[in-house]
Amino acid sequence: MSDSVSSEAGLGHAVRASDSRSGSILAGRAIFLIAFLALWQAAVAYGFADPAFVSSPTSIVEAFWKLVEDGDLAPNLLTTLVEIMISFALSVVLGIASALVLDRSDWLNRILSPFLTAFNSMPRIALGPLFILWFGIGIASKVVLAVSLGYFIMLLSTLGGLKNVDRDLLLMSRLFGASELRLFRDVRLPWALPSIFAGLRLTLIYCSGGAVIGEMIAAQSGLGLLVQSFSGRFDVASVMALILVVAFLVMALTALMDWVERRLLEWSKGSTDVPG
Amino acid sequence: MLSQTNMGPASGERTDGDVPSVDIRVSDLDVNFGQARKALSGVNLAVRQGEFVALIGASGCGKTTLLNVIAGLVPAAAGSAMIRKSAPAAGRRDICYILARDALLPWRTLLKNVEYGLEVSGVPRDEREKTALAYIEKVGLLNYRDFYPSRLSQGMRQRVSLARAFAVGRQVYLMDEPFSALDSQTKLMLHDQLLDLWEMSGATVVFVTHDIGEAITLADRVVVMSKRGTGVADEIPIDIPRPRSAEALQADSRYHDLYRRTWTSLKASTE
Repeated sequence: MSDSVSSEAGLGHAVRASDSRSGSILAGRAIFLIAFLALWQAAVAYGFADPAFVSSPTSIVEAFWKLVEDGDLAPNLLTTLVEIMISFALSVVLGIASALVLDRSDWLNRILSPFLTAFNSMPRIALGPLFILWFGIGIASKVVLAVSLGYFIMLLSTLGGLKNVDRDLLLMSRLFGASELRLFRDVRLPWALPSIFAGLRLTLIYCSGGAVIGEMIAAQSGLGLLVQSFSGRFDVASVMALILVVAFLVMALTALMDWVERRLLEWSKGSTDVPG
Repeated sequence: MLSQTNMGPASGERTDGDVPSVDIRVSDLDVNFGQARKALSGVNLAVRQGEFVALIGASGCGKTTLLNVIAGLVPAAAGSAMIRKSAPAAGRRDICYILARDALLPWRTLLKNVEYGLEVSGVPRDEREKTALAYIEKVGLLNYRDFYPSRLSQGMRQRVSLARAFAVGRQVYLMDEPFSALDSQTKLMLHDQLLDLWEMSGATVVFVTHDIGEAITLADRVVVMSKRGTGVADEIPIDIPRPRSAEALQADSRYHDLYRRTWTSLKASTE
């Protein structure tokens, strides 16, 4: 099969090309970041921008060190991290479990779907004050707010993946004599896995947002509480430092998930779909 | 409508002596789609054990429907279909169905895809890999055993599908235009591989196709179905000796005579 051999060679070539390119991409990113920071710093230094509104890269770094030295960062970061992890775990478990039930029972799906759509259409952030009223100013209210966002994302992306499973794969398995359990384990679940991972990534982002915003409404500790109090004092540098901390936290968790995904979804990477 | 004419007087339900028994018997079968539309009416067909029968006919003649009744995917409205003396059921452990699309699991390597059929059939783990590798070798893909399907060509994928099907070693194989998406060169190669696999298995095959050449190359008997869904319009025994080579047949005058004969019959069936 000469066509397949050439495609194999072509694939190897493509992999090598992307390897050699990744160095230049990293360099390009570094140049972009440095240029952006330099422009920002220069604009403030030469009076084109008011540091009271936009701060500057050096003041943000100083503000960050002050947060670390004063011991404000660690305990608040821990609170936020705990809220994100709990709400993420609950969203994922409940979201996937609900999707499995709704996928198996079309009857239930048809009854519940308008209610799910209605609840998912509500601006959950606006419900934040109510959640504080119902669940107090501790961790619970933030977890509820974050789950109210993350759960639906997880549910809908998992359900979407389960619903569009290739009919021929199911038919083939059934005709070989596969049980329902095997159909789920060997066809439906692997088929839905890419959608589940797409959902996980979004769920993490929305859970983080939900937790921080919940803290900004009313909290005893957390990064959102700090953001709120620094905003009140017009300390733009500290606010930006905190927002960057949240961003890096989410990026680190996303990178961890990407790593797991690469291992599980190896088959979908580098697919060339050889024609003919 | 008298489809059993070629069955010879000795081959009935009795299975004594050297007379091969009937593996598939369809009697006075009616199939309805929806309320009024009859997809098939009064269809009769008998396939002997170990026989390779090709069903051809114009689109809409119900050849795939007939195959799906035998596979247990479509219920009969009247009449009956019996496969090895029991009623059709999807997922029977003595029947294997090969779909038009290869239906390989994209997250499994070639080897694991061939093992899948064995897994479902309950073959123990340590036997699976050995059997799968033997069949992968038979379709000439041993070097690709760790490739994912997305990196294989269409022809290679269909060969994997054949290996997966024949690795489980069932008594009856039902095939629904498995090569319809392939170019004619690749098709000829797959015909030879299918014939090799089938001759070793000794299985009974019902093969649905719209390709006359394919039907003649592969089958012992070509069954032409009438356009109106009333079943068998004509039967052409293919007396070309085996083993056959798909490529050599292209230059064989018997092949071309049979082609003309089948073509005429197919043409008549659509009128």
